[in-house]
Amino acid sequence: MGKPFRRILARRLFNAFITILLIMSLNFVLFRMVPADPALLMMKRDPQTPMSVYWRNVEIMGLNDSLPEQYVNYMIDTFTLEWGISYTYREDVVDVTKAAVGWTVLLIGTATAFTFIIGVALGKIAAMKRGKASDITISGFGIFFYGMPVFWFALVLLIIFAGWLSWFPSSDRMEPGTHLFPLSFDKIIDVIEHMVLPAATMTIGALAGIILIMRNSLVDVLTEDYIVTAYAKGLSGREVMKRHAGPNARLPIVTTLAMDVAFIFGGAFQVEIVFNYKGIGWYTIQAIWNSDYPMCQFIFLIGGVAVVVANLIADLVLVKLDPRVQIT
Amino acid sequence: MVKFERVLDKATRRIFSRNPVLADKLGLTAKGIGRVTDTFLKTWMGKTGLIIIAFFIIVAIYARLFVEYDRYETGQYVALLDMCWEHPFGTDNMGRDVLTRTAEGTEASLIVGFAAMIISMGLGTIVGMASGYWGGWKDEVIMRVNDMFLSIPWLVLMMVLAAVLETRSLWTVIVVIGVTGWSTTSRIVRAQVLSLKERQFVERARAIGAGDGYIVTKHIFPNVVPLVFANAILTIAICILSEATLSFLRLGPQDVETWGHILSEAYDQSVMLNGPYAFIIMPGLCIVFVVLGFTFVGYAMDEVLNPKLRQR
Repeated sequence: MGKPFRRILARRLFNAFITILLIMSLNFVLFRMVPADPALLMMKRDPQTPMSVYWRNVEIMGLNDSLPEQYVNYMIDTFTLEWGISYTYREDVVDVTKAAVGWTVLLIGTATAFTFIIGVALGKIAAMKRGKASDITISGFGIFFYGMPVFWFALVLLIIFAGWLSWFPSSDRMEPGTHLFPLSFDKIIDVIEHMVLPAATMTIGALAGIILIMRNSLVDVLTEDYIVTAYAKGLSGREVMKRHAGPNARLPIVTTLAMDVAFIFGGAFQVEIVFNYKGIGWYTIQAIWNSDYPMCQFIFLIGGVAVVVANLIADLVLVKLDPRVQIT
Repeated sequence: MVKFERVLDKATRRIFSRNPVLADKLGLTAKGIGRVTDTFLKTWMGKTGLIIIAFFIIVAIYARLFVEYDRYETGQYVALLDMCWEHPFGTDNMGRDVLTRTAEGTEASLIVGFAAMIISMGLGTIVGMASGYWGGWKDEVIMRVNDMFLSIPWLVLMMVLAAVLETRSLWTVIVVIGVTGWSTTSRIVRAQVLSLKERQFVERARAIGAGDGYIVTKHIFPNVVPLVFANAILTIAICILSEATLSFLRLGPQDVETWGHILSEAYDQSVMLNGPYAFIIMPGLCIVFVVLGFTFVGYAMDEVLNPKLRQR
């Protein structure tokens, strides 16, 4: 092992910080390119509103300042957690989306856990039965679903399970009109019923990638010399898998899961929109359709930061799992 | 046959006279073409993929040349019919034939796929080669920007960009997709360049006095191309998916018919709950098959061009 863990950690943290600064800057630039006038958007849509309100908005938003000044102010606001006020809801963006973040994390967490468990298991079967019927079926399934638009697959599940069979509700995250708290058993069942289709869509969509990677990396590992040695010294197939092949083959999965965080987000957004599941993705598309720029800006920021943090964690986990990894 | 090969050889040699290594790597000498097409067509994936892509290209050309269709002419048929002989894909809520609309949408998908791929591959290759070859602080800076593009959830960035542009034509959407998708390519290219830079043939070229420009174009670039090429075809598939997603979210091109747009209208009519299901199933299947076609060809290409990675 080259460098001590602490130095790697310091360097990674520094890089992540720079990346986040860059994301913030891009966020600033992007929303300065917007053709609409934010001071106008902030006003009530009412012709009776006097122009003085407009000029007050300009003053409050600091739109008369020079661009560098605005940039500095924006950075300060971002670091002091002043993330703006939604045009549509006229509330702090954090308050609007607080609950939604939780729902999205719940959805993504469930789907990712299932993806990981099922994907690793299926990939293992495919690799061990390489070239046989079960491998071809599993790999074929993988490739087929790899190229499927998530939103369309969501629609197909809706057709089958909501339109045709009516087994599951077709939209929203709970029965309309109910609130999560106080919690009760019925409500948990209700939440699960609403989550089955969105989570299934995401799981099956993401499963393909994991299966193919697990299969290929396991095939690579299984042809290595040390596996032959392991067999030669009399270990059973299961022992070899558990002690030699499995841990090595799982390494690329960690990297892929981390690299895929951005894609998992994308998938979650599409699923939320199709199923009307009011998480972050649903709020994003509403914000974009309504030109609610502070909201877009906020989601852009937290999305980027979430991915950077996820990548950081995955990198460090990888260093811990595999001492051969050299991180510069 | 021998004569044909000789002509072909001469032609390719003339075209690639300034870059014989590249021609060889791409299998563009007569022998190479034989080798590549042989291996390529031997894989069932390559064959199936090519057939699928050819089919959709023919549909696109046919629709452009022979189908007279006006998006805005509504009420031609009974609305929301299910599959039948006159309308194999059914009709939409405005009484338009979905099969005609789907055929019209083919062109946009293919154009977006190819054009956005070229933008993102070009950017990725240039950035990756520059960063890998220069090294040092320039590499550091480029890589941080690269990290930024990798970290931003692609869909959000595309959505925001598409929303920022008030009027969206086919070409603005292509630029949006191309500009957001180059970061993975540049990563791959950079890694390859880093390893190439240390190889002996580069060192030898430098020892006999070759300049940076010469080394990059004659030695580095030809060795990067095969890697990029197989990747490029897979990227087409991803670009087509991106366009479909954007169109479905009503952020796609406004001036042409697209499959995502058809699906978005179907969604707005709650077709998935009330039918006719063909309105959703058929355009969606088209997306799936086009993407599948390019994925197949991409995999087959990868096996042919990068034989080291060939499955053991």
